[in-house]
Amino acid sequence: MPQPLNPKDQSLFRQVVRNFELKQYKKGIKTADQVLRKNPKHGDTQAMKALIMSNLGQSEEAFALAKEALRNDMKSHITWHVYGLLYRQEKNYEEAIKAYRFALRLEPESGPIQRDLALLQMQMRDYHGYIQSRTAMLQARPGVRQNWTALAIAHHLSGDLAEAEKVLTTFEDTLKGTPPVSDMENSEAILYKNSIIAESGDLERALENLEKVGYRCTDVLAVMEMRADYLLRLDRKPEAEAAYVALLERNPENSIYYNGLIQAKGIAENDHKALKSLYDEWVEKNPRGDAARRIPLDFLEGEDFKQAVDVYLQRMLKKGVPSLFVNIKSLYEEPAKRDVVQALVEGYVSSNSAQANGSAESKENDFLASTYYFLAQHYNYLPSRNLPKAMENVEKAIELSPKSVEYQLTKARTWKHYGNTVKAAEEMENARLLDEKDRYINSKAAKYQLRNNENEKALDNMSKFTRNETVGGAMGDLHEMQCVWYLTEDGEAYLRQKKLALALKRLHAVYNIFDVWQEDQFDFHSFSLRKGMIRAYVDMARWEDRLREHPFYTRMAFSAVKAYLLLHDQPDLAYGPMPTANGAEGLDEDERKKALKKAKKEQQRLEKIEADKREARKAAAANAKSIDGEVKKEDSDPFGNTLVQTKDPLKEAMKFLTPLLDLSSQNIEAQILGFEVYSRRNKHALAVKCLSAAHAIDPSNPTLHLQILRFRKTLDTLSEPLDPKVAEVVTSEFEKLLPKSQKLEEFNEAFLSANKNSAAHVQAALSGRQLLNKDSKPQCEKDLLATLDSPDITVSEATTALELLSLWDSDKTSYVQKASQKWPESSAFKLD
Amino acid sequence: MVDIVPLSSYPSYIDLLPSIQTCNITNLPENYFLKYYLYHALTWPQLSFVAVVRPKGGYKAGTSKAGAGDLSGNYPKVVGYVLAKMEEEPTDGMQHGHITSLSVMRTHRRLGIAERLMRMSQKAMAESHRANYVSLHVRMSNVAALRLYRDTLGFEVEKVESKYYADGEDAYAMHLNLQSMWMDWKAVEARDKENEKNDDAQDEGDAVGDLGKKDDAKDQEKMVKVKVGRGLGVGELVERNESQPSA
Repeated sequence: MPQPLNPKDQSLFRQVVRNFELKQYKKGIKTADQVLRKNPKHGDTQAMKALIMSNLGQSEEAFALAKEALRNDMKSHITWHVYGLLYRQEKNYEEAIKAYRFALRLEPESGPIQRDLALLQMQMRDYHGYIQSRTAMLQARPGVRQNWTALAIAHHLSGDLAEAEKVLTTFEDTLKGTPPVSDMENSEAILYKNSIIAESGDLERALENLEKVGYRCTDVLAVMEMRADYLLRLDRKPEAEAAYVALLERNPENSIYYNGLIQAKGIAENDHKALKSLYDEWVEKNPRGDAARRIPLDFLEGEDFKQAVDVYLQRMLKKGVPSLFVNIKSLYEEPAKRDVVQALVEGYVSSNSAQANGSAESKENDFLASTYYFLAQHYNYLPSRNLPKAMENVEKAIELSPKSVEYQLTKARTWKHYGNTVKAAEEMENARLLDEKDRYINSKAAKYQLRNNENEKALDNMSKFTRNETVGGAMGDLHEMQCVWYLTEDGEAYLRQKKLALALKRLHAVYNIFDVWQEDQFDFHSFSLRKGMIRAYVDMARWEDRLREHPFYTRMAFSAVKAYLLLHDQPDLAYGPMPTANGAEGLDEDERKKALKKAKKEQQRLEKIEADKREARKAAAANAKSIDGEVKKEDSDPFGNTLVQTKDPLKEAMKFLTPLLDLSSQNIEAQILGFEVYSRRNKHALAVKCLSAAHAIDPSNPTLHLQILRFRKTLDTLSEPLDPKVAEVVTSEFEKLLPKSQKLEEFNEAFLSANKNSAAHVQAALSGRQLLNKDSKPQCEKDLLATLDSPDITVSEATTALELLSLWDSDKTSYVQKASQKWPESSAFKLD
Repeated sequence: MVDIVPLSSYPSYIDLLPSIQTCNITNLPENYFLKYYLYHALTWPQLSFVAVVRPKGGYKAGTSKAGAGDLSGNYPKVVGYVLAKMEEEPTDGMQHGHITSLSVMRTHRRLGIAERLMRMSQKAMAESHRANYVSLHVRMSNVAALRLYRDTLGFEVEKVESKYYADGEDAYAMHLNLQSMWMDWKAVEARDKENEKNDDAQDEGDAVGDLGKKDDAKDQEKMVKVKVGRGLGVGELVERNESQPSA
């Protein structure tokens, strides 16, 4: 039961609350202790003290005290509210919501509790609860526009567009007179309502409404975009045409506007003449622009294309625009265009190098250098690749302009395409040295070093632009600044080296950044209502719901799942990379034990170094702080050794996999990895679901082919029969992919002969053959070697072949020899 | 081929934010949390713009229900951006915009991208927020940027800020007047009055005087009362930014 306080203590308690509100935390604790000395079981005071402690970063002690407070006073809304706030701080939102609900039941009129509850409901997307909360808040304070808007948002996001609109209209009707133009909240609310009407599909009404109110909205561009879009979709062509012309007058560098204009004018897709003259008009209006010159190259054909691209290329080369190639390379989708460009630019070289040789005229030299540079990129690009020519041209460009970062960078790229990561990293480092103050080239150099598995060198380069006084140094700053690209590349480099602990460490860091990004929206649930920028807020909320669909997440998660699969298949890797044997038997037990011991020793050595460093840092700066003044804790697991020692790698993999399957289900790699995880976890129904999904995306995917065979084998060799219900699903689904009557060898050989020109497919079929018949090994090795005769095989495909040979316990010598003859420049084919 | 699109408009391009952040940290030493980008996008959604590479074969239909410009879920490559805001506590009391960060990838230089991004942002500052001027900082050694701001866009150097950047380099503080691009609020108000009249007396036909035909600068000043950040309580959301804002 709560103890009543005497008047003096009561006033002291009120002072604690004030101290908390004014962030006078130390004072607050002192005052609270004063009250508690006489009333040691006073729940409210304990709760307030706990809240202050948690704001001081003492979260564990705070939690313990808050629990005690609750035990002492179960009937106080304060103890419950604080309990909820502490859960909220720990990001345990479900428990926080429960606690808030208790608090609210005890004190139904409390604004702050209601607000805290509402914010969490929004964060958790509990729209049902959020609508309830927002309705209550509106009833408490109906005079405030924010409360109306908030309820409308709740209805809108929950899918009830009509109700959302109604709420907004009800408020509008209470307005006396027209708000001033300067009232941005009003301006935004108007557009918000209009976008809801459009979203409901009633474009006619949306347009009508926009024509009535749009003129007074200050987000002029948005009104123009909305109007143009509605008109076009309503097929009101003359007006739509004018609307898109107006948009283009604002911004002639947006192909979407041109498309709108063309559609509005009803110009047929194949009426190239009309299209060209439309774009020409815009070139005239914007002589400095690029889009109107560039876009016609996409649709023009034959002689028209040749003429147009000639003009375009010469103009850009004369101006020395370094981005010319990246701006036209998408034309190479059509081989005819690729060939025209090649012939033209080669022509520029031969007609100009003659002139330039005579005179030292710098203008001509510049043109020539730009042209060589263009050709170097051209011959690097996959659809037109010819690496010796690329190298030849880039050398000529460098000769003319030895200080050019771009030219040197392209040289490094050429080595990369040769499959020589060593030379590529070296040459990119040379490019970096040409402009040490430029972070772009610094980033490139670091990236190429990572591709060459030089993690430390790369970090050293990165540290030239990071704030190295951050806790954890350069790496700490890259974490703090959410440098996703670097953390991912670094993790992938470790994964290639089979250093799984560090690989997982980096990939988890990226995973955590996505968690932070999701958490970031929390403050905006209240902030954006105050600001009144509702459309942007709603767009943000919806984007957050699909946050992990981003390619940055996908790529990181693929690598993380692969790392966990590897860890599951080879638990020894938890102690570090293990030597692989080249030859028949693999490691024997003695060798394995020796290797393990060595790896563990290395792990301990690194940990010791890090621990020493940490001690040194602690001694040097007792109070290492980050820029925002918050005390940052040292990472207790800097090498990821705790992560890698997980008991259940597949369960960990699921954490990364689930968002992939939810949000990127059309990505075949997600389905393929899904199968790998589920089949290892003996979740056969889910595994077959992934196979079906992958099959729907690309039935001829090589990895999928092998997975289908493996799954048949699994079903045939189950140690105990499947649950009848599961069996039914699995059998009927799998029957569609691989009928039971189908002979497996025939299935596999048919796949092989249907795809015999693709190295990846042949590799999959050979693995299939190995799976079905161990004795086929000599033939498989021979056939795998033969894939090197294909003109299309790439270095990375050949690298995959080496992995296959390891898997088969085969001797790699002849493959490596043949590959190194084929690609003498590559660094990928060396015998250990 | 590069398209310049607004960061938040209709439809929304907000899913480009992580790529914008990557573009920034790849190119520049002044970096920010994603939340700081979000803060810009959600406080001044009209002011920031992005340059994206149009994918081969064009964009796929977006995942939202909006129309033509819907790129959601496309994740095109971001090769440039301008991140802009309104100064929340203008020391001179004048509403004005500020360029927090502008960058174009080295691979996409000299296509006019930075200029276009700047012009879009400037116009939006004038229209949406009645910015008197836009300010920015630029490294004194950054010749290319200086040329863009001064020669192409017409900025003037206001002063030199010594040791503005974390590495000790000085900055030019530059600004450009934007009043010529302001929306004609007088005309808007005239139309408001016209509408009100029509609503009041619909049967009296379209009797409209020549109300507010001419712009009166003094009058206008009286009307201008834009709510700025502090009034609406930015509070704790103002993120710290690493070192200094850049331009």
